[in-house]
Amino acid sequence: MATETLDAAPSTMPTSSPVNGPGAVPLPLDPLLTDPLRDLLQERTLLHDLVRALGSPLNLVLPQAVATNVDRFRAVYRDHGLSGHVYYAHKANRSSALVRHLASTPARLDVASLGELQHGLGAGFTPDRLMVTGPKGPELLWLAARTGAVVNVDSVAEIAALAQLVRAHGLPAVPVLVRLTAFPTSGTTMLRRTSRFGIDHRDLATALDLLVEHRDVLHMRGVAYHLDTIGLDEKITALEGCVLALDEAVRRGLDARVVDVGGGFGVDYLAQPDQWEAWTSALTAAVLGRGPAMTWDGHGYGLRSENGVLRGALGLYPASRPLAGPRYLDALLSATAPTLGRPLATLLQEGLYDLWTEPGRAMVDQAGAVLATVLEVRDTPTGHCLVRLAANARDISTEDHGVLMDPVLVPAAGREPDGPAQDQGPVGAYLLGNLCLEADLLSRRAVRLPRRPAPGDLLAFANTAGYFMDFNADHALHQPVARTVALTRDHGAWDWSLDEQYWPAPPPTAGSPA
Amino acid sequence: MRYDSITDAIGDTPLLRIDPQVHGLENTDLYAKLELLNPFGSVKDRAAWNMVRHDIDAAARDGRTVVELSSGNTAKSLALIAGAHGLPFRSITNRMKVPEIKDLLLLIGAEIEELPGQAECLDPTAGDDPLTRIHRVLQASEGEYLHTDQYYNPRNTAAHVEGTGPEIIKDLGGQGPDVFIACVGTAGSSTGVATALREHDPRVQVVGLVAAKSDFIPGIRNIDEVHEVGLFDPATYDHVDAVSADQALDGMLTLIRRCGVLSGPTGGAAFHGAVEHLRRDDDQVQGRRTAVFIVCDRAESYLSYVRKRRPELLRRPARAGSVADVTDEQAAQVPALTVDQARQWITEARPLVVDLRGSFAYATQHLPGSVNIVDEVFDDLTQAGLPVDADQPVLLVCPVGERSARYAALLRDKGHTDARSLAGGVVAWRDAGAPMVRTR
Repeated sequence: MATETLDAAPSTMPTSSPVNGPGAVPLPLDPLLTDPLRDLLQERTLLHDLVRALGSPLNLVLPQAVATNVDRFRAVYRDHGLSGHVYYAHKANRSSALVRHLASTPARLDVASLGELQHGLGAGFTPDRLMVTGPKGPELLWLAARTGAVVNVDSVAEIAALAQLVRAHGLPAVPVLVRLTAFPTSGTTMLRRTSRFGIDHRDLATALDLLVEHRDVLHMRGVAYHLDTIGLDEKITALEGCVLALDEAVRRGLDARVVDVGGGFGVDYLAQPDQWEAWTSALTAAVLGRGPAMTWDGHGYGLRSENGVLRGALGLYPASRPLAGPRYLDALLSATAPTLGRPLATLLQEGLYDLWTEPGRAMVDQAGAVLATVLEVRDTPTGHCLVRLAANARDISTEDHGVLMDPVLVPAAGREPDGPAQDQGPVGAYLLGNLCLEADLLSRRAVRLPRRPAPGDLLAFANTAGYFMDFNADHALHQPVARTVALTRDHGAWDWSLDEQYWPAPPPTAGSPA
Repeated sequence: MRYDSITDAIGDTPLLRIDPQVHGLENTDLYAKLELLNPFGSVKDRAAWNMVRHDIDAAARDGRTVVELSSGNTAKSLALIAGAHGLPFRSITNRMKVPEIKDLLLLIGAEIEELPGQAECLDPTAGDDPLTRIHRVLQASEGEYLHTDQYYNPRNTAAHVEGTGPEIIKDLGGQGPDVFIACVGTAGSSTGVATALREHDPRVQVVGLVAAKSDFIPGIRNIDEVHEVGLFDPATYDHVDAVSADQALDGMLTLIRRCGVLSGPTGGAAFHGAVEHLRRDDDQVQGRRTAVFIVCDRAESYLSYVRKRRPELLRRPARAGSVADVTDEQAAQVPALTVDQARQWITEARPLVVDLRGSFAYATQHLPGSVNIVDEVFDDLTQAGLPVDADQPVLLVCPVGERSARYAALLRDKGHTDARSLAGGVVAWRDAGAPMVRTR
């Protein structure tokens, strides 16, 4: 029978055992690695040289991997016979190399601040390939309007403000998308998280009337949504709602034909789904006191025990998510529209609409890692192994975002796997940061390392380019913020440059043709 | 048998002996408790009625709403009972995974609130379980709800301590079974029956079945989720085994095709789990052994679940001569007209212009003079033969000219003499600036 047989009688239920006591080896959560990232993490000499020269922590980004992701998303468009554009949501990573490299691909750029817009323009994105989303100040609106970037408007008031700004400054007409939210459902009531963004669907008529009134200065290109959910159903409802909204716009004589479905396609972080299942089951058992502790101070990641009953909700990203990224987009487009009855891709294609997407995290999937030097390894009297790093939880913020993966050990040169016998075999370790704060833990669970690390080894936090790399990093306690290195591989040979030095056309080097 | 209330028909379900040829156990008599024969179709009828029977008349007088956290049989039973007593019913659930049940609940008149999916960007301050959420709703209310609280309500269990369990003992001639096997959902039926059987004879072995973690079996919780249930006590079970969705469907098929029991997947899981468990030591049994499992509910509500996981079970023979049979070569041989050629041909030959797109897209904009026959309808129409005179010229139109070529090839294959396709479809037509009209 089944995969798992659990002897649940309390008399035989172990609450702890010598094998699983403190210091025991935790269950693995191996990160999913694909080339070129997997290969890069094998380059011990290169990685150690880089950290020695540039310090710890050190961010690595892989522009070529991002280009591959662009191709994957565009392939989904092709498979469904859809036209439109893929926008990289810049907020996922501030690297210049990634944005400059993307400028050399067919991708476009979604920016959410004045700095990001300037960065995009400077990286080679012409304004017709830029879209401004999110909260916007007058400076951002002015620069967008001045250059001609698409403005994804967030409220009725913003439509009026933008029209007023264009008139006041005699700017050219601005292309506009209208971001919608709170789409109606039929039959059941779908509860939704309150969103601070977007125009309530019930105010659509007001927004469209305003766009008709200002049609000389605002050119409505289409409608948009972005829902912070991994649930397909809510997005299916929203996409159909957008198609219906476009029809309203066309009925008013507006030339609107874009549906922007935003991002939130997600990333599959773990190599093996069953590791995730085993780990979360073990966490449940630990929270209920029926299994060995596996977290710092009994941290439950949102779960708690009330009289032996499990309460709360697991506050973790579903790290094993086979349906993520381009595959998630494919599933969305293949779904049937709830009221119109055709597959959503067919509905878009038949309506002659363009599909825009804004992947962020999924666009930088497998496109980076953060390296950190091991400074100290010690054991507590309770048998826990503590590993202190030259980096902190803001430099590598996976824990903040609830993404759990084991780091990859990159041993120092000369520290071969055949070291002292007591260092052999996998160990569990809590990762301590370099801030003088109790709370600065890079992991509140014991991570699994292939063997006991030693000072001078590196830990590589793989696949962290989306939101976990430098999103939260700062100079607290005068600790350094990581530098970023862009790595490329040509015919098997790795080349690198500082992020700010990277351009798709590299400078001439000795031996290269003039 | 004459009843005054439909709830009087709850309980006293048959205990069916499964043919040994079906389960293959030499030394065990295996019985199925047919809870699917309750009036609303499931074992939950007992718990639902027992949880509301004491309060429902008062609740009806006060105009309260029955509320429960359920997306399945409990919601169905409660909605029907509430309706029969003139009360509204409201269900708060995670996303409904089985569309037939959702439709059925709407048909019964239930109000359904589905909770949002997990956030893509983690907000550690947000996120609470549905149980906590429903309690928050109830705390904020001022007595307008009758909350049945199935995961914690002892009357859920009591329905089976007093009903299901004693019925099994009585039907076995006063001898309880040696082994009892049940799936764990709210744990109400398994706990209740186990309690009754143990009181009768403490030697009974109780097996709880949970879903394998990566699988979804309607009505069964997985090995982690059972711990969220207030009625779940690990001490109830001598063994807890996991069943996969595949195994549940195997068991369900056996019950349906070989036993004449129209069981849903949960009953299938119980049957499969029972046979697997009993097989392990069947050859060591001294004399005869008796085992009972519960068939919780019926198959009809799970057809889409079956279609998703085992489409071959519901397959219909492929239709010959449909558009799916058109080869790429056939499609390539169809005359494909550019926009200019098409406009000229329309003027000269007055072909019938058929737009194969969906009606919504057609209504938004289409070629002047065209008629809308949606592709799937067109496919049906061609089954009996040509839906248009064989000599009447036809221009087929789709979004990009791909589907229209296939349908034109289909027409030609069936003897049509002049079916053509608009190359590049409506997209090319629009991009060329050719006229489009709108009907709404």
